[in-house]
Amino acid sequence: MNTYICRYCRQPSDPGAPTCPLCGAPVDIRSSVSDSGWVAQPPIRDMARLQFGQSHVQIEGTTVPTAEFTLAPEDWIYFSHHVLLWTEPHTRLANMPMKGAWNRRMAGMPLVMVEGRGPGHLALSDSHAGEVVALPMQHSQQIWVREHRFLCATGNIKYDWHPTDVWYETGQDSDDREMHYPMGQFGDTFGAHGAPGLLLLHAPGNVFIRDLQPGQTLLIQPSSLLYRDVSVRMALHLEYPRSMGFAFWRSSWSYRSIWVRLWGPGRVAVQSVYQPPEDTEVIVNHSYATTHHW
Amino acid sequence: MELIQCQWCQAQNPPGSTSCQTCGAPLDQKNKVSDSGWREAPRLRDMTEFRFSGSTCQVEGELVPVAELNLHPQDGVYFEHHVLLWKDETVPLSSLNTGGGLKRSLGGMPHIVTVANGPGRIAFSRNAPGEMVVLPLHPGMEMDVREHAFLVASHSVQYSFIRIKGLVNLLHGGNGMYIDRFVTAGYPGMLMLHGNGDVLERTLRPGEKILVEPGGFLYKDSTVQMQAVQMPLKTGMLRHGMYLAEMTGPGRVGIQSMYVHHHAD
Repeated sequence: MNTYICRYCRQPSDPGAPTCPLCGAPVDIRSSVSDSGWVAQPPIRDMARLQFGQSHVQIEGTTVPTAEFTLAPEDWIYFSHHVLLWTEPHTRLANMPMKGAWNRRMAGMPLVMVEGRGPGHLALSDSHAGEVVALPMQHSQQIWVREHRFLCATGNIKYDWHPTDVWYETGQDSDDREMHYPMGQFGDTFGAHGAPGLLLLHAPGNVFIRDLQPGQTLLIQPSSLLYRDVSVRMALHLEYPRSMGFAFWRSSWSYRSIWVRLWGPGRVAVQSVYQPPEDTEVIVNHSYATTHHW
Repeated sequence: MELIQCQWCQAQNPPGSTSCQTCGAPLDQKNKVSDSGWREAPRLRDMTEFRFSGSTCQVEGELVPVAELNLHPQDGVYFEHHVLLWKDETVPLSSLNTGGGLKRSLGGMPHIVTVANGPGRIAFSRNAPGEMVVLPLHPGMEMDVREHAFLVASHSVQYSFIRIKGLVNLLHGGNGMYIDRFVTAGYPGMLMLHGNGDVLERTLRPGEKILVEPGGFLYKDSTVQMQAVQMPLKTGMLRHGMYLAEMTGPGRVGIQSMYVHHHAD
């Protein structure tokens, strides 16, 4: 079999198959690349199968895709309980305790993951119109994912989370001070250990990926970031448009843009559905940020 | 020339047909069945048309599809009033009291459905991305449907509701206390549902069980038994165990892939 590198998951794949057996991306289509270098991640074809270990997952549907797992006895996956759509009665489900429960509770993130062990079938679905994104991972490979985008992972993928360190504080008086985390308080980090693994994400809308060169920077909406290589750095960026004489507006109101600046090298992925930072009062404190006044 | 049998509703269609005249399912596409036996409900092509009684229905759009009905003078349909998108001025509307008003109001379900009679055109849609599920009903069939999933039904279909017994369903089941029941007596009928996201159907053998997230349940044959079961899982520090709907065959079960989960909130 001739091997080639899948242009989406970057893993050796099978050019003879209609879809990449590791990430489900169609093999027989032309890559769709924008003038600025964003590559549209093609949706996984309906009923495509992705292999991992001795098991596989089949992606069903196109509006809100479902991931149906056929688990071999020696394989297991974990996921947040609220994405479970159905399970066979004999598929073994158990709690997977997580560290840092209090911090996760405060951040609104799931406290407890559920393990699903083979043999048997179960299916997962996130409740938003969008795409399932499959990220096959080699041993020791790590990837950063924005919170709440995780759908599930194979058992050999370790999971940790860290503060995003992207925040700002508003409010002139101490009584109305408010903290804002435009891309969430925590980000998830996944790493494969011992063997290749599979990480599935759910992205509302469409997904686009881009490779940043060393030192190359990019400004994006904070909540549009889906995942990034851990080699890509990020920080808050504040941009103040010229106020055209309305100085009071500029100084006391939210006439500004809040971005996340990314620094290469590495791969980044964005989703087309995002939540813009809310208009609020003047920023009085913030995490490390670059700033630009026009 | 051989007739073409629809794989979704089993109706026979004239040779050369590309969509079923009874349910609108494409006839020139293979069934999409997963490894465990779930079959995708057919995605109706934009502007597909099918017939029921003396009327026709045309399905428009694919993201949030609209059902446009051209009602025959002798035909009527009923629906929840908030799914009405537009209608001809001449199409008369009336109300149909389902009974059990207070109980249904407490259960968050409408106790009055609206009836439209032909002749004339009228269109319906629900306000969410998803797909239309067309279920032609033969005489003597009974279907149970989750609350607020039914889009429109022909007047030959009887409408009632059943209570899911057990407090656990009220608190955790996600279906509320009631689900809609549609029954055909001596005449066939047409029932259209709106499923959020993608819709999958599986036929359970007698005694076969499947555990479904209650919010994902869309419809079932009335022969399928449904009860809430508690899983041996915690969903948080102070949360109770997780509940799923245990469906026991025989019969069909339909689920939707977009839902609000109700495991243990």
